[in-house]
Amino acid sequence: MLRTRVIPVLLLHNKGLVKTVRFKDPKYVGDPINAIRIFNEKEVDELIFLDIDASKEHREPDYALIESFASECFMPVCYGGGITNVEQIRKVFSLGIEKVALNSSALRDKDLIREASQLFGAQSIIVAVDVKRNLWGRYQIYRHADKGVQKGDLLAYLREVEALGAGEVFLNSVDMDGMQKGYDMTLLQTVRDVISVPVIVCGGAGQLSDFKAAKELGGASAVAAGSFFVFQGKHRAVLITYPKYEELEKLFGEQP
Amino acid sequence: MKTHYQICSHCVMDTTDPDITFDEQGVCNHCRHVENVIRKSWFPNPEGKRRLDQIVARIIEDGKSGEYDCVIGLSGGVDSSYLAYMLRTEYPQLRILAIHIDGGWNSELAVHNIEHIVKRLSIDLHTEVINWEEMKDLQLAYLKSQLANQDVPQDHAFFATLYKVAVDHFGIRYFLSGGNYATESILPAAWGYNAMDAKQLLAIHKRFGTIRLKTYETVGFFKRKIYYPYIKKFKMIRPLNFWPYDKEEAKRIIVEKLDWRDYGDKHHESIFTKFFQSYWLPEKFGYDKRRAHLSSMIVAGQMTRQEALNVLEKPPYNAGEIESEKEFIAKKLSISVEELNAIMLQPNKTFRDYPSDYALEQRFSRLKQYISKWRQR
Ligand SMILES: [Zn+2]
Repeated sequence: MLRTRVIPVLLLHNKGLVKTVRFKDPKYVGDPINAIRIFNEKEVDELIFLDIDASKEHREPDYALIESFASECFMPVCYGGGITNVEQIRKVFSLGIEKVALNSSALRDKDLIREASQLFGAQSIIVAVDVKRNLWGRYQIYRHADKGVQKGDLLAYLREVEALGAGEVFLNSVDMDGMQKGYDMTLLQTVRDVISVPVIVCGGAGQLSDFKAAKELGGASAVAAGSFFVFQGKHRAVLITYPKYEELEKLFGEQP
Repeated sequence: MKTHYQICSHCVMDTTDPDITFDEQGVCNHCRHVENVIRKSWFPNPEGKRRLDQIVARIIEDGKSGEYDCVIGLSGGVDSSYLAYMLRTEYPQLRILAIHIDGGWNSELAVHNIEHIVKRLSIDLHTEVINWEEMKDLQLAYLKSQLANQDVPQDHAFFATLYKVAVDHFGIRYFLSGGNYATESILPAAWGYNAMDAKQLLAIHKRFGTIRLKTYETVGFFKRKIYYPYIKKFKMIRPLNFWPYDKEEAKRIIVEKLDWRDYGDKHHESIFTKFFQSYWLPEKFGYDKRRAHLSSMIVAGQMTRQEALNVLEKPPYNAGEIESEKEFIAKKLSISVEELNAIMLQPNKTFRDYPSDYALEQRFSRLKQYISKWRQR
């Protein structure tokens, strides 16, 4: 396995998979089970599933859906969406999921991070944060569930979640989402400078060199993407792809 | 049904085709049809190349005002993959749009092949992803209808998308199909019914479906028979009928040039197609589609009759694999294997058991014949 993980992020919406642009216009890209079967054969390191409806609809995770895809995945899976307490996390883990991502609930309930990290181990608790620039270019925490902006400083928040026991931070740029023009490297470097837990960067990857830049210049521990793994060419034709292992080895200079 | 068994002395078609007839030499009507009718429009020779050059010149001329000259379909299978390669290398000036339908059964092999084709040949791709919840409902409805042709939901969606994207969106006038006489000149009418019949598709879904088809596209009789061909002047051309198309040779070329990977049997790009062709049809309807395919290859001179008979010695499906394939299909359709087995045991139906545009289609083709005769007078 590569030291730098390359992770497809799959968004769940109405039981199907979608891909958004700047968190809007979800485009249907297919059935989760079939996508998983293809990713399995392509020997993907890890997958992240985010249910983008759950928190918006104030509902729990869809356990039946999670179970149906967890049982198909050969690779470790992270699930996020609608989690508000440790009982739910326990249930999600019992279905075969390895990690959970806390986003909306982490903003509301700091104790949940601490509690979950102590109970299940930091390595299985990811805090996901969606970041959006305001009119003056300042980074702010975006709440996808109510399309609001969280008061308070992004960096202070990340320091806090690190102290509370988050094992990893999933750093997602709203402005770059679906654009395929590269990651927001300034954001990544800024965050990287203030926390020491691993950062999974997401939002904007359009080509392999973006992964390399995120690792080498941005200090990302893992690189994640949506559009990159599901769209092909100028018409954004849906076609699942994943780089060959040797290609990634070469890219990251991780020759054995 | 014929009362006794008979097999053609030239190809391997037999009385599993209920309408088959044989002449005094024991040669079947399909072989005769190929020799007497199909040969007139089949040019696997230099004459074909000359004609194809003219056709392509015309396509390019007609395509001037648009972004693309023509559209092709890509499934990842041999015929469409080779067609893409042949067109790209023989006619590099042709601006091609490729359309792919993702009906929810894509294998890794299929997406790998399509990715390599479009990247290596620099062909622009459009994918239409059919909503899986709707597709699943429609496919289950088809299974419950007990009709032979379980490929209709996928095939109909392909053509509906082709019209919508190629004609309505891009204004393309030509569809270059990978269909060809070399591998499919023989297909008994009794073994299939028109996948294009939207009336039948919707009737079956209405009777056996459980959710509304909100996004699944259909194309009705008027649009298909009059609007697209006569008003929009949309034409289908089969370039491989103007080409010395040899399937084995074609495979060898695309493996070498496009990093294409083989599926094994023809049209088994998905487990569903495999299940339908090699299990559902032979077990339930008593015919083996390989017979038509092999016969076409014999008539095209790409296989000997003995080779074909040897292939048919092997059962159409692998008894060791079928149970796990059924399990996969049942799980994907959200039913149990018992339910799937129960569906298999129900009595078979034909297209006549459900509403269809068949009568309308017959009247329309008689009208067309009448008009063309009247014009010749
Ligand atoms: Zn014959």
